[in-house]
Amino acid sequence: MWIYFKLAWRNLFRNKRRSFIAGTAIGLGLAALIFTDALIIGMNENMIQSATASFLGEGQIHRKGFRQTQSVEATINGLDDVVADLKKEPIVRHFTLRVMNLGMISSAANFSAVELVGIQPETEAAVSQVDEAIIRGSFFSGPNDHDIVIGSKLADLLEVGLGDRVVVTVSEARTGDLSQEMFRVSGITRFNIREMDAGMAFIRLIKAQQIFGIPDNVHEIAIQFTGSQYGGDESLPFWEKYSQNGNEALGWTKICSELKAALDLSDFSTLLIGAVLFGVVALGIVNTLFMSLYERMFEFGVLRAVGTRPFGVAKLILCEAGALAVLSILLGNSIGFIVTAAVGKMGIDYSGIEWAGVTFRRLIYPVMEMRQFVIYPSWTFLLTIIVGIYPAVYAAKLSPATAIRKSL
Amino acid sequence: MVTSEYDTIIETKAISKTYSENGVPVHALTHVDLTIRRGEFTAIVGPSGSGKTTLLNVISGLDTPTSGEVWLSGELLSAMSGRRLSDFRRDHIGFIFQAYNLIPVLSVEENIDYIMLLQGVPKTERHRRVADILKQVGLAGYENRRPPKLSGGQQQRVAVARAMVSKPSLILADEPTANLDSKTGAGLLDMMRELNRQTGMTFIFSTHDELVIRKARRLVTLQDGTIVHDEARS
Repeated sequence: MWIYFKLAWRNLFRNKRRSFIAGTAIGLGLAALIFTDALIIGMNENMIQSATASFLGEGQIHRKGFRQTQSVEATINGLDDVVADLKKEPIVRHFTLRVMNLGMISSAANFSAVELVGIQPETEAAVSQVDEAIIRGSFFSGPNDHDIVIGSKLADLLEVGLGDRVVVTVSEARTGDLSQEMFRVSGITRFNIREMDAGMAFIRLIKAQQIFGIPDNVHEIAIQFTGSQYGGDESLPFWEKYSQNGNEALGWTKICSELKAALDLSDFSTLLIGAVLFGVVALGIVNTLFMSLYERMFEFGVLRAVGTRPFGVAKLILCEAGALAVLSILLGNSIGFIVTAAVGKMGIDYSGIEWAGVTFRRLIYPVMEMRQFVIYPSWTFLLTIIVGIYPAVYAAKLSPATAIRKSL
Repeated sequence: MVTSEYDTIIETKAISKTYSENGVPVHALTHVDLTIRRGEFTAIVGPSGSGKTTLLNVISGLDTPTSGEVWLSGELLSAMSGRRLSDFRRDHIGFIFQAYNLIPVLSVEENIDYIMLLQGVPKTERHRRVADILKQVGLAGYENRRPPKLSGGQQQRVAVARAMVSKPSLILADEPTANLDSKTGAGLLDMMRELNRQTGMTFIFSTHDELVIRKARRLVTLQDGTIVHDEARS
């Protein structure tokens, strides 16, 4: 068998230009796959980060049914116990409490429907990026509990700026009575997410609890974990542990199911791109092997004439396919590494572009993983061997006399 | 002709070979009966297209006859599987082709070594036999050269060495001197004749070369795929 490896490896360098071109073509396919995979991982992480870090958090706890009804009465059961347990969770880095209610906001010039969210500024800043989204004013910097932070589009609609007064009208829990409160605009945010910029307003938690009529209760606990993998892990025992006592704990894959679907689509896209690339590569390999075979037809005839068994000739062709694969993998991994590393340093700017309900807010950086340089090359090698079977069988079936005659 | 099992190495019985060329049948061989005894030094001659190469191919099992039988060392070739036929060629037949046909990516030693490797000959024995045969063909010291670095005559000597190293009982040479100058060709023929005398190997040449024809101990003339003359010489 060793002689076939030796022959195959040396034959590879017999026509250096052709081997290099074929190897580069296959290698480019591999490099493209490595880069695409790295880019999609980077894009997915960016989307998850954009979706979860903007406001959602990586996980949330609510009263069961709150997400569907948005009922003001549906506050978290056993809040003190839940908070005490969360403080002890080793995988929870930060969490923040929120209340939310639909209402109306009006200014001297206009009015609009709004989702009024009561937040704890200190813990909110640790979990979400509401504070970072401030484009004018400040994020609850003073002690005034009549400060309100509104989205930029909402500010435009209401024709208000910093320091202007707005009136918020909401219905109280249980009684359903309307409650009105005047606030002064202390900050304006821009998330580049239409729903948030045009339909959300933030006030302090205590004030919100007061006007919603739910003192000491909250609707939502938003969580940031110590690792990004926890939020997407639907089998994490954490969810079950906090889905007790009428509450439900959900990761971002459940809270933002359209994003999960988009990411699944990305995975499928990678598979599709891989299949197309490998299909093209496969044709290239078959072509190269057949070119080599026809060019050396006489040699194969001689090898058969001197006693090489048909399977021996097939083994030689497969070894040549393997040698070509090794060369291609070396080239592909190198090109893939260089391109991914270079783009990973610069980043790709998609900021402001919205996809699957998520707006990219930061540069996308491709993420290299060892798997890309092991699994995809292994596929390439395997594919090369598999597609090499066709020319190998063809060569094995050649009559020695025909092989010798064809090349004369 | 009646020959004993031990004397006869090749016996063809009414072999015919018809090719189809662009849909037109070409009768390369027609009812050829030929018996070759062990140790003969035979030349098959005839004009181009007379069927010389086809006859060698059919005799060696490289090609199959359309009809008729080929017996080699008492075995019917058509009864052998592809794998068995490969092994049989490896162990019993040495080939020398017109265009040398060495594997260019293998060194002289590796080219000669290849058949013994297929036979499973131990490394030390292979090494010894390569050294011996290279000495016999006058190429000692050329072990590590690659064929493209050798002259035509040297390459053909390597081809002879490769054909003989496994000690086959039959050497088939298709126009072995066609690409050589007359001096080199004569030297090569003398060498093969000497090996024929020393080892008793059977040599069959297909040739146009007058030099080969003069040296041959038997001359078989083919014309239009039929033996028209068969002459033994002293």
